[in-house]
Amino acid sequence: MLEGLVSPESLSLSYADMSVPERLKWLQQLQQQEVLSQSSNDSPELLQILQFHGSNNDELLQSTFSHFQMLGSGFGTNYNMGFGPSHEAMDGCISRTGSCQIDPADTMGVMLKNSEENRAISLKTKRKSEVKTREQEKTEKKIKVEAETESNMKGKSNMSNKEAYSDTLKETSKGASEIQKLDYIHVRARRGQATDRHSLAERARREKISKKMKYLQDLVPGCNQVTGKAGTLDEIINYVQSLQRQVEFLSMKLAVLNPELDLSVEDLSVKQFQAYSSNLPVIVASKPLIMVDVPLFPLDQQGSLDLSVINLNQTTTIEAVRFYHSENFSDYSKFLLLVWEVTCLLYLFASAIYKLGNSVT
Amino acid sequence: SSMNEEFLKKWQMGLQIFSPSIDNTSVSERKRAIKLSADVAMASLRKGTTCWSRALIQKTATEDNFLVRQMLSGIKEEPLINKKLPKVMCHRKIVRRSKKILMRRKSRSAMEEVAAKKLVKKKTQGLRNVVPGGEFMSSNVLLIQETLDYIISLQTQVNVMKSIVDAAEAGIER
Repeated sequence: MLEGLVSPESLSLSYADMSVPERLKWLQQLQQQEVLSQSSNDSPELLQILQFHGSNNDELLQSTFSHFQMLGSGFGTNYNMGFGPSHEAMDGCISRTGSCQIDPADTMGVMLKNSEENRAISLKTKRKSEVKTREQEKTEKKIKVEAETESNMKGKSNMSNKEAYSDTLKETSKGASEIQKLDYIHVRARRGQATDRHSLAERARREKISKKMKYLQDLVPGCNQVTGKAGTLDEIINYVQSLQRQVEFLSMKLAVLNPELDLSVEDLSVKQFQAYSSNLPVIVASKPLIMVDVPLFPLDQQGSLDLSVINLNQTTTIEAVRFYHSENFSDYSKFLLLVWEVTCLLYLFASAIYKLGNSVT
Repeated sequence: SSMNEEFLKKWQMGLQIFSPSIDNTSVSERKRAIKLSADVAMASLRKGTTCWSRALIQKTATEDNFLVRQMLSGIKEEPLINKKLPKVMCHRKIVRRSKKILMRRKSRSAMEEVAAKKLVKKKTQGLRNVVPGGEFMSSNVLLIQETLDYIISLQTQVNVMKSIVDAAEAGIER
């Protein structure tokens, strides 16, 4: 937990309000000391402390840092940690007692932060309003909004996830303060935007979604040209569908090529293994075969078909036919392959024409 | 690349489980075996952490329960099924009429906004239809996360299968 605390601190400095940097540092030092000294506390004690203080101040900072980490190291095992096992609906109406049911490590952190914050807030003179969004490792999404005054602490309000995208306009200038919990997402409210708890939480959700959509845009080829949610979603849907179709096509091909259902590794040459490691599809240079690839019928901006690509595919059909006939294939499997590939081509034609028709209307 | 190798290993294991039980002379049977074992291998790589993997495993389990149990025997127990999202059945004409009444006074820009939101909703519903287990995902954020993971797994699956196919063809060519 200590390393987890160390990493977002650098981010917290950037998020921190410039007018209170010293308070931040003081808090961080406190927090480190607290963690070191209280490493062996057990949760029931801390629960009592929390109730005694009567505050439910969960000031937490979460990164996106964890997301960046995941992306940077590849979507391997790291990514799983971001997900967690359960994806139950988090329409979190979490009461304070409910929040105490989270796992002991988290409660400990929460309690620690609460005690520190009490001390910190007693020193504070400024009025702030903040939004925190929390993401547990088990992906329970809870949205908590905090507003503080000089003299007293307001109670925590818990909200359910909103599906509506509504913006209310109010003129207030925001400050934002920090941290500590690595699981919390820290959102700074901007000037000219509502401080209403609901809309702030909604905005946090929306920003999360748009961030993930950006990752998706990087992943899906050809998604950068389209702007707007609907277009990118459309591209994503098409891409996923084409990948699924590719899987079907490849499994069919493999079924034809491989009469015995074994993928014996000895058959594979060294070249194939190198191809695996580079994570690129292997292209057999001698005989280009038809693959149902995504950019097969690229449509330009106006949606007209790129006819040169079609001609290319026709020539590759002919080549492939020649290839298959020259080998010792059984006639039946050759025939099957031909039929399959012709149907694939026809299907692609049809889908391209459908797209063209759609774009025209 | 390690993911590629893991997927390949699991896929081979699945195919070995399959091969005694199916009729090897039929192409469609073989294709089905290949696809099923590939899908289960891809889903089991995630070890139950993602919604789509569990939904995919459950889908294939309805087609061939024996295979799925065998493939997953070393890994984990039966994954849980999530509660299906309630799909509200609306009588379209009534809904449309009431929406028109509500929108009568609004400005044109508001109507365009609403239309854009409608379009986005349609697209997200389309995405839910494509991604396995999409109907069970309660929030849009979750949906997009799952889509990301699913796309990456699909890409590895396609890459590995492509390499195998090309290797098989290269072998035949020799």
